[in-house]
Amino acid sequence: MHIRFRFAIRLATFAAALLPGLAAAQAQPASPATQADEQRQRGVDQPGNNAPVWRDVRSGSENYTSIHGRETGVLIQPQARFPGQANISTAGEAWRNFRNGPITFYGGWVLVLATLAIAAFYFAKGPLKLHEKPTGRLVERFSLLERWAHWTVAISFVVLALTGLSILFGKYVLLPILGYTLFAWLLTLCKYAHNFIAPLFIAGLLVMIVVYIRDNLPEKGDLAWFRGAFAMFWSGKHVPSGRFNAGEKAYFWIGVVALCITLSVTGVIMLFPNLDQVRTTMQQTNVIHSISAIVMTLFALGHIYVGTIGVEGAYQNMREGVTDETWAKEHHELWYNDVKSGKLAAKSGATPQVQH
Amino acid sequence: MARMKFLVDAERCIECNGCVTACKNENEVPWGVNRRRVVTVNDGVVGAEKSISVACMHCSDAPCMAVCPVDCFYRTEDGVVLHDKDLCIGCGYCFYACPFGAPQFPQAGAFGLRGKMDKCTFCAGGPEKDRSESEFKKYGRNRLAEGKLPACAEMCSTKALLGGDGDVVADIYRERVVRRGKGSEVWGWGTAYGPGKAGGQPPAKGA
Repeated sequence: MHIRFRFAIRLATFAAALLPGLAAAQAQPASPATQADEQRQRGVDQPGNNAPVWRDVRSGSENYTSIHGRETGVLIQPQARFPGQANISTAGEAWRNFRNGPITFYGGWVLVLATLAIAAFYFAKGPLKLHEKPTGRLVERFSLLERWAHWTVAISFVVLALTGLSILFGKYVLLPILGYTLFAWLLTLCKYAHNFIAPLFIAGLLVMIVVYIRDNLPEKGDLAWFRGAFAMFWSGKHVPSGRFNAGEKAYFWIGVVALCITLSVTGVIMLFPNLDQVRTTMQQTNVIHSISAIVMTLFALGHIYVGTIGVEGAYQNMREGVTDETWAKEHHELWYNDVKSGKLAAKSGATPQVQH
Repeated sequence: MARMKFLVDAERCIECNGCVTACKNENEVPWGVNRRRVVTVNDGVVGAEKSISVACMHCSDAPCMAVCPVDCFYRTEDGVVLHDKDLCIGCGYCFYACPFGAPQFPQAGAFGLRGKMDKCTFCAGGPEKDRSESEFKKYGRNRLAEGKLPACAEMCSTKALLGGDGDVVADIYRERVVRRGKGSEVWGWGTAYGPGKAGGQPPAKGA
């Protein structure tokens, strides 16, 4: 297990290093033998000149120390530069500037603006309503397993998002309101919630991907749906789609699969500091984790909006697992047709149920 | 008030680890934590070996302070960077950010769960009442409040490690450099106290 973790970390480090520019600026430490030889020669040629040693130290190389531990032999972190940074600095300083700078600033404002935009849309246009009256006949839309998987991931994600946002932005937003003692108490809670709910999220995520992947495979009509998506929210005119429309599929592939798996992998790397990771790995992991988390939160804001107040009936579908025929016909016409024609008999919840 | 700084003379350090021991003994540092360590470059290579003692440098623009999500760090009027363990949540961000690897975390549970951060206090204790028992338990001895300098520097047998008023230690060092005509690099000063430049810089030109 441990070896597998180490391998995963190496793999992630490698992947992180592939990101353009992220680790590009790290100086290559000279191999000990050549540096030592150079220093010895320098001491003869120019007594008192220790430049080779200082160059080696500045590169963040590991040297001898009697104190055991990871990177204890490193005097100073290696030099690094994150994307958009003009100057090279120690990796820690580069990380600090990237996290406290672009991630906090742009990340924070993009979340605020997205929330405002959604609110503005809701108050300007209101929710997407059904055109026809509900028939009272219900068809099964989500099985029990699908709902369990969805809500496990959904609830754990909301907890992770809120606690994570508090760790990144709480200092600027909550600390002035709560004061030091209360805020530190809250953030301790956030840290434990974030760390201990993460495994539940990852387990739920894996189940969810397996359960939902089949109906999220791309189909022919998906591009047409994107072209009609704006008109749908504006005028309520739907583009016929299968069980999941192209928007839901995009959310599944970009959000659930790509971003949430990235978040899980980077999260695990930071969650277990007793593995083999060095500081550079943790800095890069933290940057990838933060950016993915902010983008995923943006996706989730949109998803939660259309899943609750944005689309009439959507929340009931995932809560009860059944939907009215009118809703099915208007929102997912191709799927509805398949259900009615008996093509999806196993999924159709054959006997009509009474609404609670 | 004086601006407290550490200064390590790589021409003098003999890697005796007296500073490490002095620190551990004076502050009764938690198990598994070493606030100070000595690193030797080119260990065993005659004519190329250099040793440096490193701990928290109490930076002017401290990265640990900047990234702490609970803002538990503060700077004393002596320029010493301290932190409040009652606020610390053990996230490890200060450890990511510190160029010198000063912040340490005693393991608080399974899977490497981090406890509350511990680091060099320049023997200046913490936010508790000076020289109180709770201050000693959490942060170690408050020697500055007793009118003394850090135990590591006081204990240094070759006076390679200097700790105290930055102007005074810089003057001592400058005199050494002038006398011996070499070893003018003050390791870590550029990073810790300089204008954000990498590498060691002499404390002052001319004089």
